[in-house]
Amino acid sequence: MTPEGISELISRVSLRDRAAFDALYASTSAKLFGVCLRVLGNRTEAEDALQDIYVKIWNKADRFAVAGTSPISWLVAVARNHCIDRLRARKRVSTDLDEASDIAEPSANPEQSAIAAGEARRLIDCLDQLDAARASAVRGAYLNGDSYELLAQRHKVPLNTMRTWLRRSLLKLKECLEG
Amino acid sequence: MSTTPPDDTVPDGDDLVAAEYVLGVLAAEERREAARRIETDPTFARLVTRWQEYFGALDDGFEPVSAPHYIKGQVDHRLFGTDAPTLAMPLWTSLAFWRGLALAALVLAMIGFGRDLIQPPSSPAQFVASMVADNSPVRTVAVYDEQTKRLKVTVVAGDMPPDRSLELWLIAGSEAPVSLGLMKSPQVTEFTLPQAVAAKLRDGTTLALSVEPLGGSPSGAPTGAVVAAGTVRAI
Repeated sequence: MTPEGISELISRVSLRDRAAFDALYASTSAKLFGVCLRVLGNRTEAEDALQDIYVKIWNKADRFAVAGTSPISWLVAVARNHCIDRLRARKRVSTDLDEASDIAEPSANPEQSAIAAGEARRLIDCLDQLDAARASAVRGAYLNGDSYELLAQRHKVPLNTMRTWLRRSLLKLKECLEG
Repeated sequence: MSTTPPDDTVPDGDDLVAAEYVLGVLAAEERREAARRIETDPTFARLVTRWQEYFGALDDGFEPVSAPHYIKGQVDHRLFGTDAPTLAMPLWTSLAFWRGLALAALVLAMIGFGRDLIQPPSSPAQFVASMVADNSPVRTVAVYDEQTKRLKVTVVAGDMPPDRSLELWLIAGSEAPVSLGLMKSPQVTEFTLPQAVAAKLRDGTTLALSVEPLGGSPSGAPTGAVVAAGTVRAI
């Protein structure tokens, strides 16, 4: 479905149109379930999360109009934020580490092969200008919901060093994107 | 010009916090604080939105995976209090129903025709039909993409009968129902429409699902109860 089609469905959902909600679910749930599986890395939890996410979408659809983002970005953001909040609510970081290692990295970099639009291309190009390890930390954080704590453990550096490191990367990214 | 600071300082500022929030690296407490600011501080909210747009470029990295069928029923139950439905087939004889449906479709086709006269033909469109019926727990959604000529149908509530087939029909105006095929899975069944049939699918056309013997209607016309029907709408 086109972004315009999805936008229209979200707008109708904000007017409490259940048929539009059914259609929105039918056309977007696979994508958002993919987000839940990737971030949570656990099928049962991903199924619970997906329910919560569509309840949120029904309740917050009126916010989409003021968000000013593309409809898919908005839906993915609702899903990612919910899953990351769940992830952070988990107790021990070591659990995150164990589970994170079980999550298969996508083969052959689908995020690169599938992206065509100029805007998207630009972010990928700018990421490529970063040091490879930093680019992969940024990409991994976005797709897996890695926390500073987890990244610091993985790279065996103090948390504050990790934060400085990543913030510098974000600044570079921003200069490139807006330069 | 470079805004990269010297090596011994931690860069700071709202824009970076917004980026960290979107990236997802913050701890629980920091995330709560950022979420609170999004609600109360429009400037901060705009920074978050902009990073969301940037990083949205990575969204293709999330591979779509069909969600289990039961989830939509649970969502509906939580939102609307509807019971997670099971299929108890109401066998209301369908003749009157089909007549009414044909009439409704005819009226809608006329409206649609009138609209065609005043509007120039548009680019390839998407069509959606939400199919329901009184006394039936089955709710389905059909989405048609004119470009690919593919019609995707999902059962969002209710179950498919184990010992019968659900057959999908297209009813254009007052014409006889045309079979589009059988539902193969409650998740998503894809129908590729032949050109002649695709040409009939437009705003106002009716789609309906009937219960048929396994393998589909033996006569080529619907024979069993209609468990869901709806009007196609362009979106």
